[in-house]
Amino acid sequence: METSALSEPVLLVLLSLVEQPRHGYSMLKDIESMSHGRVLLSTGTLYGALQRLLDNGWIERVHEDNTPRDRRTYRLTSRGRRNLQTEIERMRYLTKLASLRVARKEA
Amino acid sequence: MLTVYCWLLCLYPRSYRHDFGEEMTFVFRDARDALPPALAAKISFYWCEVFGLLSSALCAHFDRLFGPAIPFPRFYMQPQFRFPRITVFLMLVIFGGVVLAIRIASTVAGDTSGSVWPLVSVLVFMLVTMGIAAAVFSGVLHSLRRSGLHRLENLQSHMHSVESNSKQ
Repeated sequence: METSALSEPVLLVLLSLVEQPRHGYSMLKDIESMSHGRVLLSTGTLYGALQRLLDNGWIERVHEDNTPRDRRTYRLTSRGRRNLQTEIERMRYLTKLASLRVARKEA
Repeated sequence: MLTVYCWLLCLYPRSYRHDFGEEMTFVFRDARDALPPALAAKISFYWCEVFGLLSSALCAHFDRLFGPAIPFPRFYMQPQFRFPRITVFLMLVIFGGVVLAIRIASTVAGDTSGSVWPLVSVLVFMLVTMGIAAAVFSGVLHSLRRSGLHRLENLQSHMHSVESNSKQ
């Protein structure tokens, strides 16, 4: 799993958590703004992704005593950050490969 | 609509509902309250929510029963995995097995008046046999690196060579 491509919702969730810990609604809004309104995640999709990320140890819940259940926040773990970096590297390779191929075709 | 949403949450496994149910309801409520007044936006939002909830509930049940059965990564983003050539052959083998099993079963059913058990047992036997044959053949192709599943390796090594070339 660690070296495979991630789905767009999962990637966007991870990117949303890179800067700061966020709760569910904040993630939805951030993803919407990050994708310029192109990606509108449903709550089902968002929490499906969050559950898998939690199960795999890519993100964790921030435990605060006063946090109500509806405002539970999530943050990236070091493992999640590392895997996100791997994914970015993978995408960089692909982009480079695509650019080279296209350039070769056009030359 | 919030009531319908809460009702739909019952489709999730109990543990999932316990972990996320309340949180999801609040997020849904916040998102609904922030909707623009346009009817199209509302319809699109509710459609997306219902569809997302149903598919996510289905995935949660699959995950609970079989582990992460539906792959977490987006394997369809890798065109070399999309439809390996061996899949066509395996599908043909299984299809052939089913057709053969039906033919044999209908012959057996003609001989034994009334009872369906011989028919079922022949069907099961044939399907199992063809499944094993397909698995063996797939294993042979895989060991010969002809199954199509090694293409990612090739792609990655190619990408590394591209990178090293570009550095030079």
